[in-house]
Amino acid sequence: MKKRKALLKNATMFTLALVVGLAAVGPVQAQQRDSISIVGSSTVYPFATVVAERFGKAGGFKTPKIESTGTGGGFKLFCAGVGVQHPDISNASRAIKASEFETCQKNGVTEIVEVKIGFDGIVLANSKKAPQLVFSSKDIFLALAKEVPDPKGGEGLVPNPYKTWKEVNPSLPEVKIEVLGPPPTSGTRDAFLELAMERGALAFESLKKLAKEDAKKFQKIFGSLREDGGYVDAGENDNLIVQKLVANPNAVGIFGFSFLDQNTDKIQGAKVDGHVPTFENIADGKYPLSRPLFFYVKKAHVGVIPGIKEYLAEFTSEKAWGKDGYLSEKGLIPLPEAERKKVAENVKNLTVLKDVK
Amino acid sequence: MSPIVLLGVLLLLSAAAYHVGRRKAFAMAGAGGRAVRLHSRPTYHGALVALWCALPALLLFGLWLSFENAIVTRMVLERLPESLRSQPPDRLNLLVNDIRNIAAGHFDAAAAEPAIREAAAAYQRLRGLSRQALSAAVIALAALVAVFVRRRLRPSLRARNHVEGILTALLVACSTIAIFTTLGIVLSVVYEAVLFFRIIPFWEFLFGLNWSPQMAIRADQVGASGAFGAVPVFLGTALISAIAMTVAVPIGLMSAIYLSEYAGKTFRSIAKPLIEILAGIPTVVYGFFAALTVAPFVRDLGAVFGLGVASESALAAGVVMGIMIIPFVCSLSDDFINAVPQALRDGAYSLGATRSETIRRVILPAALPGIMGGILLAVSRAIGETMIVVMAAGLAANLTVNPLKAVTTVTVQIVTLLIGDQEFDSPKTLAAFALGLVLFVVTLVLNVIALYIVRRYREQYE
Amino acid sequence: MNSGRETAYSGEPQERRTIAVVRASLPRRYRSERRFRFFGLLAIVLSIGFLALMFASIIAQGYTAFRQTEIRLPIFFDPEVLHADALARADYGALIRHGLDRLFPDVRGRQERRELFALISSAAVYELRDFVMRDPELIGQTLEVWLKAGADIDMAVKGHFRRELPEDERRVTDRQFAWLDRLAAEGRLEKRFNRTFFTAGDSREPEQAGIWGAVCGSFFTLAVTLILSFPIGVAAAIYLEEFARRSRFTDLIEVNINNLAAVPSIVFGLLGLAVFLNFFHMPRSAPVVGGLVLTLMTLPTIIIAARSALKSVPPSIREAALGVGASRVQTVLHHVLPLALPGMLTGTIIGMARALGESAPLLMVGMVAFIVEIPKGFTDPATVLPVQIYLWADSPERAFVERTSAAILVLLAFLLVMNGAAIWLRKKYERRW
Repeated sequence: MKKRKALLKNATMFTLALVVGLAAVGPVQAQQRDSISIVGSSTVYPFATVVAERFGKAGGFKTPKIESTGTGGGFKLFCAGVGVQHPDISNASRAIKASEFETCQKNGVTEIVEVKIGFDGIVLANSKKAPQLVFSSKDIFLALAKEVPDPKGGEGLVPNPYKTWKEVNPSLPEVKIEVLGPPPTSGTRDAFLELAMERGALAFESLKKLAKEDAKKFQKIFGSLREDGGYVDAGENDNLIVQKLVANPNAVGIFGFSFLDQNTDKIQGAKVDGHVPTFENIADGKYPLSRPLFFYVKKAHVGVIPGIKEYLAEFTSEKAWGKDGYLSEKGLIPLPEAERKKVAENVKNLTVLKDVK
Repeated sequence: MSPIVLLGVLLLLSAAAYHVGRRKAFAMAGAGGRAVRLHSRPTYHGALVALWCALPALLLFGLWLSFENAIVTRMVLERLPESLRSQPPDRLNLLVNDIRNIAAGHFDAAAAEPAIREAAAAYQRLRGLSRQALSAAVIALAALVAVFVRRRLRPSLRARNHVEGILTALLVACSTIAIFTTLGIVLSVVYEAVLFFRIIPFWEFLFGLNWSPQMAIRADQVGASGAFGAVPVFLGTALISAIAMTVAVPIGLMSAIYLSEYAGKTFRSIAKPLIEILAGIPTVVYGFFAALTVAPFVRDLGAVFGLGVASESALAAGVVMGIMIIPFVCSLSDDFINAVPQALRDGAYSLGATRSETIRRVILPAALPGIMGGILLAVSRAIGETMIVVMAAGLAANLTVNPLKAVTTVTVQIVTLLIGDQEFDSPKTLAAFALGLVLFVVTLVLNVIALYIVRRYREQYE
Repeated sequence: MNSGRETAYSGEPQERRTIAVVRASLPRRYRSERRFRFFGLLAIVLSIGFLALMFASIIAQGYTAFRQTEIRLPIFFDPEVLHADALARADYGALIRHGLDRLFPDVRGRQERRELFALISSAAVYELRDFVMRDPELIGQTLEVWLKAGADIDMAVKGHFRRELPEDERRVTDRQFAWLDRLAAEGRLEKRFNRTFFTAGDSREPEQAGIWGAVCGSFFTLAVTLILSFPIGVAAAIYLEEFARRSRFTDLIEVNINNLAAVPSIVFGLLGLAVFLNFFHMPRSAPVVGGLVLTLMTLPTIIIAARSALKSVPPSIREAALGVGASRVQTVLHHVLPLALPGMLTGTIIGMARALGESAPLLMVGMVAFIVEIPKGFTDPATVLPVQIYLWADSPERAFVERTSAAILVLLAFLLVMNGAAIWLRKKYERRW
C-alpha cells in the first residue's frame, strides 16, 4: 500500500516534469513538409480536393492537404511569406485584390501564378413540390433590393414594398417572398449582387441613368439587399439551405450550381432571363449568373515542395478540367477551350502575375 | 541528441537519482538495526535527489532552446556579406527563413546563392554545435546537482519538507496556467478589437441598434449599409439563451432531484448515464438535429396554430440548446445534492417531513450555492454555444424578443465574420474580435457576480 | 408547527390537536409529494425521450452507410494492358470497361457507354491496382471481382432515388436501372459490409471515403489533451482546494478558472492561432496544436470537477490524518486524493468527451482540412471526427448524407464508451459520507 502511494506521488511528479519539458520543446517543433499545402475558398474546395485525391492516389507524391479557410483567410495565410510554414497554393472564388497582392509583395511573395479554373453557376432554386419559377433579373432586383423605384410611378426610391412574388410580377405565384441566400461575408453573395442585382437594376431607365451619373450611389442601390425578412442570410452550408428548401416549399434558395446538380430530385432551378441553369447553358454563357474560380500558386515553392508542378499539370489536364473531365462531374463549369489552352500554357511556363487592378 | 531523446535521458537520470538517494538514506538509517533516526522516510530523500536532478536541468533545457534560435541566427547573420545584411528587416527575415529552410533540407540548396548556401551550412553547424553543447550541459548539470544533493543528505535533513515545498511550488505553477490563458486570450483579442474601434466608434458598436456588417468587399464596390450596432446581436443571444435555460433548468433540476432522492439504485444506474449521454453529443450533431428536425417541426406546429414562424426561429435553436444543457444542470445539481450530508435528510424525516418537503425546504437550500454554480456554468455555455446556432439560428440580426422570429447571436457572427471570403483586415473581420471581446467581458462580469453570490450563500449555510 | 403553538394557548390537549392537524394535512401533502415525484419522473422521461428521438433520426439516416453496393465483374487481367515493369501506371480502367463490355455486349453509343461505365466507382481502378500489385501472378487469368459501385448507383440501390420520378430529375437513368435489375437477377449485385468506411481516410468519392484518418487524428489530439490537462488540472485543483489560503492571488486564479470555463470555445481557437501558430510557429493542422488548444479549453472543466471531488471528501478524513502526524502534503496525497480520484476521473472523462466533440476552436488552427493520408504522429496534418462530420455535411454529393450520419454514429459510439467508463468508475467508487 505504502509503495503504491509512493508510486502515485512519483508518477505525479514525473508527469509534471514531463509537462514542463513538453512546454519547453514546443517552440522548437521542426517545420517539416513533404506534401503540398493548399488553403482558401470553400467554393473551390470541392474541386481542388478531387484533383488532389486523384493526384495522390496516382502515386509518386503525397496527397496535398487542403484547408477550407475562405478566400480572404486563404490569402492572408498565402501572403504571409515564403517558406515551408506557409501554404503553396491559395484557392479563391474571386480574383486576388490589389491590397492582397500588395501584402504578398511586401512579405516577399513576389511571384504568383494565377490559374483560372472554370466557372461556378449561381442558381435560384425552390422545392420540387412547388411550381418552377421563371424570373427575369428585374424580378430578382425588385424582390430583393432594399430600395426600389417607386411602383406608383414617383421619381425617387422607396423602401421595398413587395411582400409576395405576385406583386413583383403578376406571372409569378402568390407566395411570400422568402429567399435564403449567402451571408454578407460570402463571395457567392458578392457575385450574386454583381451578376443578378446589377443586371436587374439596369433594367430600369432611371437607374440606368443613375449608373452613368453617380456610379457609387448606383452600386449602393443594387448592392443593398433588403433586411426586413424577405432575404434571409442562411449561412455558408449550402446543403442545409437545400434541406431547408425541401422543408419549406415557399422558400427560394441561392447557392452554387453543384448543389443543384446533386439534388435534382428534390429541388429545381429557376429560369433566369429565359434560361434554365443547366450545365450546358452555363458553359455556353447563356445562363447569366456565373462567376470564375481561381487558384494562386507561389512560384518560389515550385520545385522546392515536391509535386507542385505535377499537381498543376493534373489540374489543367483535359481529363480533369476538360469538357468531359471529372471536375465537370462535380459541377465545375469548364472554361471555353481556347481559354483553357491559354491558361494551361501560362501554367506550364509559370507566367507570373504582374499586377492587379 | 535530439531534444526528445535528451528529455528521455534526463528522466532516466532522475529515476536513477531517486534510487541513489533512497539507497543512501537506507544506508544512513543503518541496514537493519535502525541505529539512526531519519527525519524523513527514505523515499523522500530519493525524491529530493530526483527532483533536484531534473528541475534545474529542465530549466536550462527550456531556456537554452528558447534563446538558441535567436543567438544562432544572429551569429549567422554576422557572417553574411554586408550587401545582404543591410536589407530592411522584412527582407532580412525572409533571408533567414531561406537559410533555415535550406539548412533543414526542405529547399533545394543547389539553387541558392553561394553566400546563402554558406550561411545555411554555418547555421546547420552552429545549431549542431549548440545541440551537442546543450546535451552535455544538461546531463552534466543533472549529474552534478544530483551528486551534490546526495552528499548533502543527512539523517536530520528535512527532506520531506523540501520535497513538499517543491511540490507545492509546482502545484502553484499549474494553477497559474489559468491566468496565463486569460492573459493570452485578452492580448490576442484586444489587439484586433482596438483596431476595430479605431474605425467604428466604441459607443456606436455597443449601443447601435442596427447590425449589418456589409462593408465594401472590393474597393470598386459598395456593400449595403454597413452598420455595426451590436444590440440586436446581444439581444438575440440573450433571447436564445433564455429559451435554453427555460428548458434546461426545470428539466435538469427535477431530473437531478428525482435521481438522487427518489430513484432506486437500478433506475438511477440506467437513467443517469442516459442523460449524461446528452452532454457528450457533439454540438455539430445538435446543430443538424435543430436545423433538420426541430426547426421544421416548430414551423409546422406554428402553421397549425396560424402563427408565422421563421424557418430559423430562435425557439428551435433555443430548445435544442436547452436539451444540450440539461445534463449539465442535472449532473452538477446531482453532485451537489449528493454532497448534502445524510444527517440533514435524517433530521427532516425524523420531524415528519415528506420527501418532497425535505427536498424543497432542506436539501435544495443546502445545495443551492452548488446548484447556482451549475446553472451559471450552463448559462455561459448557452451564451458561448456556436454550432447549434450557426446551423439553426441564422444570421438575420432582427431586433426582437419574439421567439418565433429569426435572430442571430454573437458566436454566429464571430464564425461568419471570420470564415468569409472578405479581406482579412477589413472592419468585418475585426468586428469578430470586438464581439469576442464583449463576449469575454460579459462572461467575466457574469462569473464574478456569480462567485460572489455563491460565496455569500455558502457562508450563510455554514 | 406554528399551529401547534397556537393550540397550546387554546388550552386543549396538545398532542391530539397536533396529530389531527397533521392528519388533516396529510392528503394534501401526499398529493403534493406525488406531484413532485411525478414531475421528477417526467423530467427524466423527457430528457431520455429527446435522446431517443435524436438517436432514432440519426440511425435511420445513417445505418445504410455501413453497407456498400458492390458489383461482381469478370475481370480478365490482360497481359497486354498490364506490363510487368509498369504495373503502377497501367490502365486499369480498361480492365473494368472490358469486364462491363463482356456482360453487356450490346451497349453501343458514346453516351450509353459512359452511363454503363458510371456503374462502377471511378476509384475502383486503384482497388484493382492494389490487387494486382499484391499478387502479380493474377496477370493472364480471369477472375470474378467484387468492385464498388459508383456513389449514385449505391444511392439508387438503397432506394434514395425514386424510380417514379421523371428520368431527367434523378441522377440514375432508366437504362442504368435496367442494367442494375439485370445484374441483381444474375446475382452480380450485392450490398456488402463497407470496410472502406472504417479503414480509409477522407475522400471526395463517397464510396471511397472513410473515417479512420479522422479517428486517428482525434486519438492523437485527445492524447495530447489528456496527458496535459489531467495532471495539470488535478494539481491546480489540489492547490486551490487544499493548500491555498484565501488571498487576492487565489481569488484571481479562481475567477479566471470559472471565467475560462465559460469562455466560448471559438475564443480558445483565436488564442491558439495567435499563440501556438503565430508566436511559437508550430505547424498548422497538427494534432499537437489542436490538443494544446483543447487542453486550455478543458482545463477549467477538469479543475472545477476535481475541486468539487476534493470538496466532497469530508474534513474528518483530513483531521484524522493530520491528527496522527501526517503533513499536509501527506494528508492530501495519501488520503484525500485517493478518495477524490474517482470523482476527478469522472470529471476528466466528461471533459475529454467534450473535447472529442469540439470543432469550433480547431477551425482556427487549420484542422478543417481535406486529409487523405492517415496521420501517424502528433505533427502530421490531421483532422478530427467532428470536423470530418462538418466537412462531409458540407459536401454536395448525396451519398455523403448517410456517411455523415454514419460518422456521427461512430463518434457517438466513442462517446458512449467514454461515458460508460466514467459511469463504471463512479459506480465502483461512489460513496456518500
